[in-house]
Amino acid sequence: MGRPLSADEVAERLRARFGEGVEVEDQHGHAVATVPVDRYREVVRFLRDDPAFACDFCDFTGGVDLGPERGFEVVSHFYSTEHVHNVRLKVRLPHEEPVIDSIADLFPTCNWHERETAEMFGIRFEGHPLPVKLLLPEPFEGFPLRKDFPLMSREAKPWPGAVEGEEEEEE
Amino acid sequence: MGLITEKTPLAKIQPVRFLLNWGRRYSLWVFNFGLACCSIEFIASSTSKNDFIRLGVIPFAHGPRQADLLVVAGTLTDKMAPVLKRLYDQIPDPKYVISFGSCSNCGGPYWDSYSVTKGVDQIVPVDVYVPGCPPRPEALLHGIVKLQEKIRDEDIQEKFRSGTSAVR
Ligand code: SF4
Repeated sequence: MGRPLSADEVAERLRARFGEGVEVEDQHGHAVATVPVDRYREVVRFLRDDPAFACDFCDFTGGVDLGPERGFEVVSHFYSTEHVHNVRLKVRLPHEEPVIDSIADLFPTCNWHERETAEMFGIRFEGHPLPVKLLLPEPFEGFPLRKDFPLMSREAKPWPGAVEGEEEEEE
Repeated sequence: MGLITEKTPLAKIQPVRFLLNWGRRYSLWVFNFGLACCSIEFIASSTSKNDFIRLGVIPFAHGPRQADLLVVAGTLTDKMAPVLKRLYDQIPDPKYVISFGSCSNCGGPYWDSYSVTKGVDQIVPVDVYVPGCPPRPEALLHGIVKLQEKIRDEDIQEKFRSGTSAVR
């Protein structure tokens, strides 16, 4: 049985290795590190191979659309079965042409997660072994989880219920 | 049904037609196209409490080629739609379709989704729609009775002529 790292220790170790470009915060007891896009692969490899981290399991890779100004975020969650700790990595990408390195060769489980993130958000994973759609039918056009994706049914008939956020204002 | 085609004059005679339709409506082999939560209700209808075998619906055909009745129960997505069409085409004539639940009727709670087919009647012709999310097993029994009434009044030669038939 190993020793779980606290968020502060994760910050310390990542900064010592990758410099000040890495920001780490503590969210609900998990360390959440924001890394620059060109160091993403390196950081993932370090998390996997460094004995203090020993993250041998990638839980998921997903995307977040933060709007045209703030761009996209790619979030990957790593877990160590040895030390029983979690590390979450975030990478900010521009809204125009979001490209990031694939880590499907480091963690094969990311293969499908990256394909899904790619088809849903239009984020390109450089070096992915099979960059085709996973869940959507192949002729599908557009990226449905982007905020600006039009839902045709709602264009014809607006949402009949309350919209999130508006309810609170009314109260 | 191999003996009955649109060319069989016998099926025009009233007692023959009655007997034929009586036999057909109480021996519907059902093919369950279960796609989501609704298919659980469909399975509940087949088990002892509700038991649609007493209405002559026989669960479950091992494949579409043995079936008379297709029950589409659940959420059909655009990616799954070609599969439904293909299985429907494999069912020998005369064949019937029950659309079970809001999702297969019209998209249901996923009416604005990017991936859900809004109504299986865009893909295959539907005989009976059962509304609900999910409909209770009793609703399916009601739908089956409605379908049997439809088969009772049916002219088999009309059914063949109506164009849903793959084997002509
Ligand atoms: S109609 Fe409701 S219960 Fe049936 S498949 Fe759709 S969501 Fe599930």
